[in-house]
Amino acid sequence: MITIHFILNGQPVNVEVMATDMLLDVLRGTLHLTGTKKGCGKGECGACTVIMNGRAVNSCMVPVAKADGARIDTIDGLGDPDHLHPLQEAFIEAGAVQCGFCTPGMIMAAKALLDEYPDPSDDEIKEAIAGNYCRCTGYTKIIKAIHIAARMSNGKGGV
Amino acid sequence: MMKDYNCVGKPEGRLDGIPKVLGRAVFTTDVSLPGMLYGKILRSPHPHAKVISIDTAEALKYPGVKAVATSRNTSQVPFTTAGAMVFTGPQGRPTLDQHIFEDEVRYVGDEVAAIAAETEEAAEEALKLIKVQYEVLPAIYDPLDSVKPDAPDLHWSPFGKNVAGAVIEMKLCRDIEEGFSQCDEIIEETFKLPQIKQVQLETQSAVADFEADGQIRVVSTTQTPHCAQIQLARIFETPVSKVQVKNPPFIGGGFGVRIGLSAKAEPIAAALSKLTGRPVKVTYSRREDFIASDTRHGGYITVKLGARKDGHFIALSVISRLNGGAYCSFGTETCAVMGAMTMSVYSIPFRNYCGTCYYTDRTPAGAMRGFGNPQGMYVVDSAVDMMAEKLGIDPLQLRILNSVKPNDPTWINPYPCTTALIACMEKGAAEIGWKNRGKVNKPDDKKRIGYGMGIGTHGSNSFPASVDYSYAYAALQQDGSLQIATGVPDMGNGTSTTLPQVAAETMGISLNQVGFLFGDTESTPFNIGSHASRTMFSAGSAILDAVKKVRKQVIEYAVPLLESPAENLDIQNSKVFLKDNPDKFMMLPEIAWHAHIRDIQFLATGKSEPANLPPWHAHFAKVEVDMETGMVKVLKMVAAHDCGFAVNPKIVEGQIEGGVLMGIGNALTEELLVDENGVPQNDSIHKYMVAMASDTPEIIPILVNCDSPVGPFGAKGVGECGCIPTLAAVANAVCDATGVRFTELPMTPERVLERIRKAE
Repeated sequence: MITIHFILNGQPVNVEVMATDMLLDVLRGTLHLTGTKKGCGKGECGACTVIMNGRAVNSCMVPVAKADGARIDTIDGLGDPDHLHPLQEAFIEAGAVQCGFCTPGMIMAAKALLDEYPDPSDDEIKEAIAGNYCRCTGYTKIIKAIHIAARMSNGKGGV
Repeated sequence: MMKDYNCVGKPEGRLDGIPKVLGRAVFTTDVSLPGMLYGKILRSPHPHAKVISIDTAEALKYPGVKAVATSRNTSQVPFTTAGAMVFTGPQGRPTLDQHIFEDEVRYVGDEVAAIAAETEEAAEEALKLIKVQYEVLPAIYDPLDSVKPDAPDLHWSPFGKNVAGAVIEMKLCRDIEEGFSQCDEIIEETFKLPQIKQVQLETQSAVADFEADGQIRVVSTTQTPHCAQIQLARIFETPVSKVQVKNPPFIGGGFGVRIGLSAKAEPIAAALSKLTGRPVKVTYSRREDFIASDTRHGGYITVKLGARKDGHFIALSVISRLNGGAYCSFGTETCAVMGAMTMSVYSIPFRNYCGTCYYTDRTPAGAMRGFGNPQGMYVVDSAVDMMAEKLGIDPLQLRILNSVKPNDPTWINPYPCTTALIACMEKGAAEIGWKNRGKVNKPDDKKRIGYGMGIGTHGSNSFPASVDYSYAYAALQQDGSLQIATGVPDMGNGTSTTLPQVAAETMGISLNQVGFLFGDTESTPFNIGSHASRTMFSAGSAILDAVKKVRKQVIEYAVPLLESPAENLDIQNSKVFLKDNPDKFMMLPEIAWHAHIRDIQFLATGKSEPANLPPWHAHFAKVEVDMETGMVKVLKMVAAHDCGFAVNPKIVEGQIEGGVLMGIGNALTEELLVDENGVPQNDSIHKYMVAMASDTPEIIPILVNCDSPVGPFGAKGVGECGCIPTLAAVANAVCDATGVRFTELPMTPERVLERIRKAE
């Protein structure tokens, strides 16, 4: 077992882990943060997307040792019922949520995009969520939601 | 005339939206119980074999292992994971051809044994220590091989060699040949369809607790908790009343893959829990989900369509030979739905259908969104386009001429046909720019544009083919809010928003005053579950019935209080008022409390009426085909749907858009293949080629209202419809672009290129 330190959703965290553990399993298993989902465990579906040092990553593919000293942001730290993040508000408004299993990862992938490119094009959005699989929506309302969130964040209001 | 409603017909935001965007919505894979063990399954490496012996001694010694389950120490009661075990009505008998474990395995991935251990890792490591001796048997993968005399008999079947479930014959005329003899033109063609996968994002999962007092408590991903409850009670030979199955309450998609049980997640978790006395969680890996949970049926469909020179269709014959895989599952029902739907779209005097599902050594095929209808209509509507070309008639005009019309007699339900199909076709054609068809390509264009369409219908539930009913409960709370309950899950289809919308509208209160209990056999009355596009139509009807009764009780109670006859009382915005004098009123909370302190609560149960009123739809595709690479790109899809009345248009649009992209995947990329040893080749999301965001075209859903005599506020089903006509629309568009008719799906670049080159 080794001890890993990282900043999780703004708070310092120390965890005892096996060096071979994946970040996703530590988040869901050790830290009981089940907001981040596991859809494949192979980096193919994006349900486990978190933001590590500002970049969206598949947490199922990140050996937890690599997270030592990193800044990790997960869906669990984004917004609360009375203060939704613009992306969370936009996902509901646009109808971008169906079963909700891809939603946490999708929102974190979109957040990493908007943090860097506040006003993305359709193609930039599609590229940013290219690794995030959704079977329910056909993606159209997700893409719309990310545009709405961008406008909200830029002070231009909703739809 | 659209009525003015307060709550239904509005694009209300989903009530489950906030927990889901915050990551706080609970799914089965998130559930953990005190003392919980993890179960892992040993699967057959052979497509067909006898299990001669299993040695579990070494596995049992592995640190952390608590039990090994095999056919020797688990229930041997036969069952089927499919809900057919519970749905099959008095006219049929379900095919119970599965066991938790059996001494014969019939596909690569079939269950041989399972281990419960303190950690997932320990369970997985210990699996490697189970020694199994197999006698490998001959295997078959194609339904055309299943009938050969030398083919192995995979199961004994009363219906013929390797026939999975009953052969479905629909003879809707005396002599089909008489019909064909009256035709000027006949199209006859056989199409080949792939097995494909639902690829819902949450894999099969169950947590089972076989408690000391004999109660079995299960949390799982089932789409049908009450059916799963009955199935588990049968398997473990315990009263249904002592089994609880609940969703936690959310499910990461379904698309048919868990109608009944979640593959074998529930029974294996329960068997391991019984052996260990501790709760056990079984979650399928993505590979297990691909190779060992039901697929869509592939196989062969032969269509023969005859018409007169003037365009009138005279005779239609459809014969399907489906690949059922290793176990019957919904084989009978899929054949039946394919027949019922392909025979119902066009008015044709001579019609016949015969559908047979065959056992093979492949992953079992079962229910997937559309249930035989997408495959059947791909074939029929391909034949319609072939006929249009032969007759020199525009395919849109040919469909308008021959499709069923309002008030035509229908043979699958007791109501005259209510359909806005022609309006769907006209609106869709205008939106896609159908008038440009045939005018956009130049002879030497390397990238060619094509337009295509497909139409169809579906059920709004499974009546009359299967048992189909819903009960609901509604109770006005002491503060005037309303609690409703019925046993459907919310697997993403919006149930937990749309059913409260129906209740709020009926009661005359706002949506935020409705509490909804769902997806739990212990707190909800029987409901056959979420499948067959039935949740709004059927569960919604039961809720409507229950809430109407509560409303009536409240009004009758208010008669002496407001000194007005019941006919003159109405409820809106939680206000019970006189229709002829709205200033005279009592608020609902006041009445509820008035009753409460006099020992009265207003509550009722409701039931769905056995009825079915089909939805209708017309899809239009605009595609671009790269003639040098064979790559097909869908540029735009227009999906016009008559779903009666959209209780929540935003949710309906979402259902349609998701279905459209699923249908595009079915048409262009998705296919489950096995190698010569029966080993699945497409066992991951990347290897299977699902559509990702970059594959999604512009999708324009069009909702066409149609007055319907039944269903909540006139709502029909819609959940499955988005994918049904998409296959034909895309296939016909590719044919329009290339001049080549593709009779095999998916239309991968290799297949397209090969056929284009052959045609040149």
